[in-house]
Amino acid sequence: MECLKKMEVWALCLLAFIGFSSQKQKSAAFELLPAKSTGISFNNRLKEDQANNILRYEYFYNGGGVAVGDINNDGLDDIFFTGNMSDNKLYLNQGDFKFKDITGSAGVKGKNSWTTGVSMADVNGDGLLDIYVCYSGKGNLESRKNELYINQGDLTFKEDAKTFGLDDASNSTQAMFFDFDKDGDLDMFLLNHNITVINEIEFDHARSMRHPTAGDKLYRNEGGKFTDISEKAGIKGNAMGFGLGITASDLNGDGWIDIYVSNDYIENDYIYINNGDGTFSEKMTEMLQHLSHFSMGLDIADMNNDGLVDIFTLDMLPEDNKRQKLLYGPENYEQYALMVNRGFYHQNMRNMLQLNQGKGMFSEVGQLAGISNTDWSWSALFFDADNSGHKDLFVSNGYYRDYTNRDFLKYKGDYYFKAAVAREPADTLHLVTSMSSTPVSNYIFQNGGNLVFVDQTKNWGLYLPNFSAGAAYADLDNDGQLDLIVNNINHPAFIYRNRLRETTGKQTNWIQVKLKGEEANTSAIGAKIFSYNEGKGRLVEQMPTRGFQSTVSHRLHLGLGENGKLDSLVVVWPNGKSTTLRNPGINQILEIEEIANGSLFAKNEPKTHFEALENSIPFKHQEYGFNDFKRQPLLLEMPSYVGPVMAASAVLEDGSQLVFVGGTKGSPGKMFEVKNGIWSEKKGFRSEPEFTDSDAVFFDANGDGHFDLYVCSGGYHDYLSTDESLQDRIYINDGSGNFKYSANSLPSMLTSSATVVAADFNGDGLQDLFVGGRIVPGKYPLTPSSYLLINLGNGKFEDKSVSFLPKSGKLGMVTDAAAIDINGDGTTDLVLVGEYMPITVLINQAGKQFTDQSAQWIEKGDAGWWRSLAVADFDSDGDLDFVAGNFGLNSQFKPSAEEPLTLYFADFDENGSIDPILVSYIQGQPFPFPTRDELLDQMYSMRPKFTDYASYAEANLEKVLGKEQLEKAQMLTATELRTSYFENTGSKLAGRPMPIEAQMAPVQAILPLDYNNDGNLDLVLAGNQTYIRIRLGIIDANMGQLFEGDGKGNFKLVPQTISGFSILGDVKSILQLPSDQDRIHFGINNMGIKTYQLKKMP
Amino acid sequence: MKYLTASYLWIFVVLAPSVAYGQKAKEIPTDFYIDNLFHITEVMVTDVASPPAAARFYAYTTLAAHLAWEAANNPTDAETLLAKSNIEFSDFPKAEPEIVPEFAAIYTMLEVGKKIMPSGKLLELKQEELLREFSKNKLVSKKAFAKNIAFAEAFALSMVAMAKADGYNKLSTFTRYSPKAKDGHWYPTPPAYMAPVEPEWRTIRTFFLEKIEEYKPEPPAAFDLGDGSPFKLQLDEVWKTSKNLTEEQELIANFWDCNPFKVDFSGHMAIGIKKISPGGHWIGITGIASKKAKLDWKNTLYVHALVGMGLHDAFVSCWEEKYDSDRIRPESAINKYLDPAWRPILQTPPFPEYTSGHSVISRTSAEILTAFFGNDFDFVDSSEVYFGLPERPFNSFFEASEEAAISRLYGGIHFRDAIEQGSKQGEKIGKYIVERVR
Repeated sequence: MECLKKMEVWALCLLAFIGFSSQKQKSAAFELLPAKSTGISFNNRLKEDQANNILRYEYFYNGGGVAVGDINNDGLDDIFFTGNMSDNKLYLNQGDFKFKDITGSAGVKGKNSWTTGVSMADVNGDGLLDIYVCYSGKGNLESRKNELYINQGDLTFKEDAKTFGLDDASNSTQAMFFDFDKDGDLDMFLLNHNITVINEIEFDHARSMRHPTAGDKLYRNEGGKFTDISEKAGIKGNAMGFGLGITASDLNGDGWIDIYVSNDYIENDYIYINNGDGTFSEKMTEMLQHLSHFSMGLDIADMNNDGLVDIFTLDMLPEDNKRQKLLYGPENYEQYALMVNRGFYHQNMRNMLQLNQGKGMFSEVGQLAGISNTDWSWSALFFDADNSGHKDLFVSNGYYRDYTNRDFLKYKGDYYFKAAVAREPADTLHLVTSMSSTPVSNYIFQNGGNLVFVDQTKNWGLYLPNFSAGAAYADLDNDGQLDLIVNNINHPAFIYRNRLRETTGKQTNWIQVKLKGEEANTSAIGAKIFSYNEGKGRLVEQMPTRGFQSTVSHRLHLGLGENGKLDSLVVVWPNGKSTTLRNPGINQILEIEEIANGSLFAKNEPKTHFEALENSIPFKHQEYGFNDFKRQPLLLEMPSYVGPVMAASAVLEDGSQLVFVGGTKGSPGKMFEVKNGIWSEKKGFRSEPEFTDSDAVFFDANGDGHFDLYVCSGGYHDYLSTDESLQDRIYINDGSGNFKYSANSLPSMLTSSATVVAADFNGDGLQDLFVGGRIVPGKYPLTPSSYLLINLGNGKFEDKSVSFLPKSGKLGMVTDAAAIDINGDGTTDLVLVGEYMPITVLINQAGKQFTDQSAQWIEKGDAGWWRSLAVADFDSDGDLDFVAGNFGLNSQFKPSAEEPLTLYFADFDENGSIDPILVSYIQGQPFPFPTRDELLDQMYSMRPKFTDYASYAEANLEKVLGKEQLEKAQMLTATELRTSYFENTGSKLAGRPMPIEAQMAPVQAILPLDYNNDGNLDLVLAGNQTYIRIRLGIIDANMGQLFEGDGKGNFKLVPQTISGFSILGDVKSILQLPSDQDRIHFGINNMGIKTYQLKKMP
Repeated sequence: MKYLTASYLWIFVVLAPSVAYGQKAKEIPTDFYIDNLFHITEVMVTDVASPPAAARFYAYTTLAAHLAWEAANNPTDAETLLAKSNIEFSDFPKAEPEIVPEFAAIYTMLEVGKKIMPSGKLLELKQEELLREFSKNKLVSKKAFAKNIAFAEAFALSMVAMAKADGYNKLSTFTRYSPKAKDGHWYPTPPAYMAPVEPEWRTIRTFFLEKIEEYKPEPPAAFDLGDGSPFKLQLDEVWKTSKNLTEEQELIANFWDCNPFKVDFSGHMAIGIKKISPGGHWIGITGIASKKAKLDWKNTLYVHALVGMGLHDAFVSCWEEKYDSDRIRPESAINKYLDPAWRPILQTPPFPEYTSGHSVISRTSAEILTAFFGNDFDFVDSSEVYFGLPERPFNSFFEASEEAAISRLYGGIHFRDAIEQGSKQGEKIGKYIVERVR
């Protein structure tokens, strides 16, 4: 409150928009202003010729940059454009969207060489914004030297890079000015790229040394002289760097500014964590689990208003089916493995949204958010376009030539061949200029406030197809709405005036903040602003360099929504001191000055509920390593990877418990004993290495009062469709805890099963079994047999599937089952889930048979890719409710009843193998999911039909299969991929989806528990999927999620920072022992068991 | 091989004495056939047919031409290559009086190519051209065209039905190849890391070989990096040879490269550089020899079909060994154990190393051609002129096949034992086929 006095608070302009005529509302929310009216005629014109073209210079079509800043401190942001081959332009903002080209008089047109990114920053700390321009290209050293235009204060600039030591001659993409060492002045990170292609063979060599012009550089400002400290500071400088995106942010929340570098091609992105001692450590692999492959521009911002910054990197995956099909080649698992093994990490070609989970950990949710496919993208900018309080997202994109078109690879070779046959010289420039050129529309996404973005490109008027690159936002007319400036190739730059308030009629509110640093960092780059409203804090950071080759306004903008309210603003200055404003006036531009004696900002670290334990079940899970896609190339996930499963016995008299942990082909399952928290392996138990254990249960098989063990044999691998290794097993307990395999207990059941439940189904007092069949190895998606096994009392079971089960047990691809008396008639019923199965309720008819009454029981129980099921009384009404784990929404698939996923299958080419073709909807139209190469590999008969990618790119299923073939196809559909809660209302199971966070990954294991002892059941959901098509990419955003229940069937995510779970990998099972309920064991595929302890809360 | 344009062909034809329709067939130059066979090669290039697949296409198209010609000339004669093969199939249409054998042969060949090759449809244009040529030069009477075409189409259908039973359609039902994670075994190679070509080709029916195991070469030198071991010596040999290559050796390597799809990368952009396959090269030599020897239609068709079928059998045998021994390529081994920056001058083809396919099939072809044309048959090989390589004279087919074999060592893509054992394997196959058809 003290500081308020010292603060200059003034309102610049309050808007009068009431009189706006409603007739004009038809016009676009982002109104494209013509050059005639703005005076901005800048056009990044390229001239392709023998000397200048894409074959000579790889980054020929990358486009130019934009920098915005108030160069004359008149309160209006001015604009600078870079032209790759044309003059740069500086436009002075004269208000009301009128600009004056002062390039000539200001002396900033730059030199005649390849120009790239631009930054505006007060490099010399005199309170005036200077301009730093980057150069690259194939020219000589002089031509590449970057330029620093020092603002003379009279609308003229003086190039003085050499004096500052910044006349660097690297192949630069962009410079970023920031104060990394908190000494009060601006240092510089220079993002560079290689101009020669590096062959795969040279990777190791190239990585081992610094490259003088391709390696990134860090310059430290030492009293106005910049010194290259890259090596000392730990900045990588190898030739592999194809840096396209740079920004800085405090990624791990430790108060020191970190750096994110996005790299094109094979080289992975870098995250430089600031060590606070003048050095950085590259820690990308510790923080991210997978990343974009051909990373381009990026932005870092608190996207979900949780006070933690999230990372968004761009790539080149198109949204529409046609361009996807033209782009995707064959999937190459060997090449992918090589990439990972050689240290390039998991990279996939699509935009990645890395959601900050705290403590420097991130979960990738770009597809869930709906922002993963924006074509060949350059600039990403998070800003609150509609002043809703949620940052929206702008993406610029476009590439001047259709360079990656697969037909170009295969069939332009024909051009050479034909030229050779015709004895004509081949002309490569002709080859380049004959490539097609497809302009695409930029994207703007509205942040829905729920992790999901809505594409508003059309509605908001940004649909003009073009080739856009650098971009910046700024409130050019100070109306409290952020406008957009976009640099285009061979087209005038876009000036988009934001008129959302006018067009929507929503009286939204805002506040803008102009920071004034007390030292040489005059616009306080690196400062954070936390804004609080009703206890919720969100974050914006002062880092003008973001997006691509560009600099946004130095004035920070916060949208405040329709009932605009702001309890307080806290500015955390780069040196860690803070300034707090209570109830600041809104709809104004605040200027906040740094004060020398501000208090140090301290953030409370929340306490976590769970902590990881060192002491866990001593079991190592080791996968056999079979690639299921080699067997059935059109599978989406690998069905082999099912373990480890876990089962616990009842508590023994001595307080100990037995736990069985399932094995996988090549490494058998084991039995463990736990007593007083000490684990030991139970010797004498023996399972064979040929089996893949997919479920297990302890139950009394022979009525001797001791629990025996049933183990499901599952998997896919190289098992025959009726392999002996698919036989389930029973191990009989001799009464003293010794388990022995009982060969004669079970009938022959050579099915890859997934689940077993034990219950007395026929009412004779003996435990019977239901076994769910998962898959027919090699013959997906044929329906496997499920079994109803009746206990004969002598330790033997009889297969009564035909008389007891509908369809004689051919129920579907069952993944999980529960046995409960759902209708309260005293007999035990079955609830099943499975792949392409609706939630299935089988009602027990007096212990004689089951009838499928799903239709009567289920409300919203759509067929999905269900994979787990948990039963408990979540709404505390005395009956049992269900939670069913599904595939989630963090993938390319978002089916609905209107746009289902449909799997068509038959032996279409009559060669003895099942051809399963998935059809999914893209932009409202159904298309076959397989790429051309995948389809042709499955059915050779398709080769004459689709001799090139173009012919397949727009083909629908009718075109692919023809009417006749389609008629003989069988079909499976799925309309719901969300993990859902089903409330038992006594006569129905009413389904509704779990919260959005539960949809971030496939949910493979569910544990109901009351972690906070409030009497309401909570949930732990875990899963992920690593063994998935490369094209779909690893889904690993679930780090073990704790959802707090309110006892009414509603659940709310407890953030990872508070739950304490931080699980990496694919969880296949969760176990909580009755004898030790404070510990939760997670079975992680190809790793082992990870155990968490519930902390005692004071 | 000389490539004739349509106009050149026409001039040649009108110089011939005018003949009654379809009767003096011998005046129609065999260039018609050889040029149209090259159109089939062009389609394979468009489709990037793999070397074994290309051989299969050649076998069925040339066999179809041979059979149709024989059927048109002498409907009762059973002395065809098919009759001498393992395949029992006789469901071919019988020729009627007005069928012109030369037309039927070429049209049938194109029709088969059209039906069995992915981009076969491109041959429709060539069929139209053929019709125009025969019509313009009055080689088939107007009213007989429909009959001739119907015969050729029916003949081609029979041929395709015969081909359909050879197991090709079943290839997609096998579990795909997974590299063994063991030293000395094959792994995809740079720069494109393409999946290995046709790992189950052994399952394809052969024409003459009865048990492909009988043609299995000796096993390759065991993987052993110890100094002086046979494997290490050969590894060193490839490495050292590549570093001291003479100009002539480099020329030889390129002359016999025959890589149907070399991938050049430049950042995001990849361009496939296409060439004819090893089989295509030997079909070309067969055409050159046929013309030089001024073979008549009967013999031209016969020797092409025999070479085509021989190529196919040789590839099946070679491919069986390749995926049995699953041996590492010199490029992978040298990069891993000797020199991480080494690159062969030829791009390593995407399949295991042992035996050298070019060595096997070149020798088989040379055996067949020598038996047919004689040992001292010299010729000038102009097959690679399209690709900027000079014509190359040879004194015999064996000289050519020996050079093709050793070119793989110069190219840095094969070890010596794969070449030598491959030649032996090809010799055995070739000799057997020659014996079978004698």
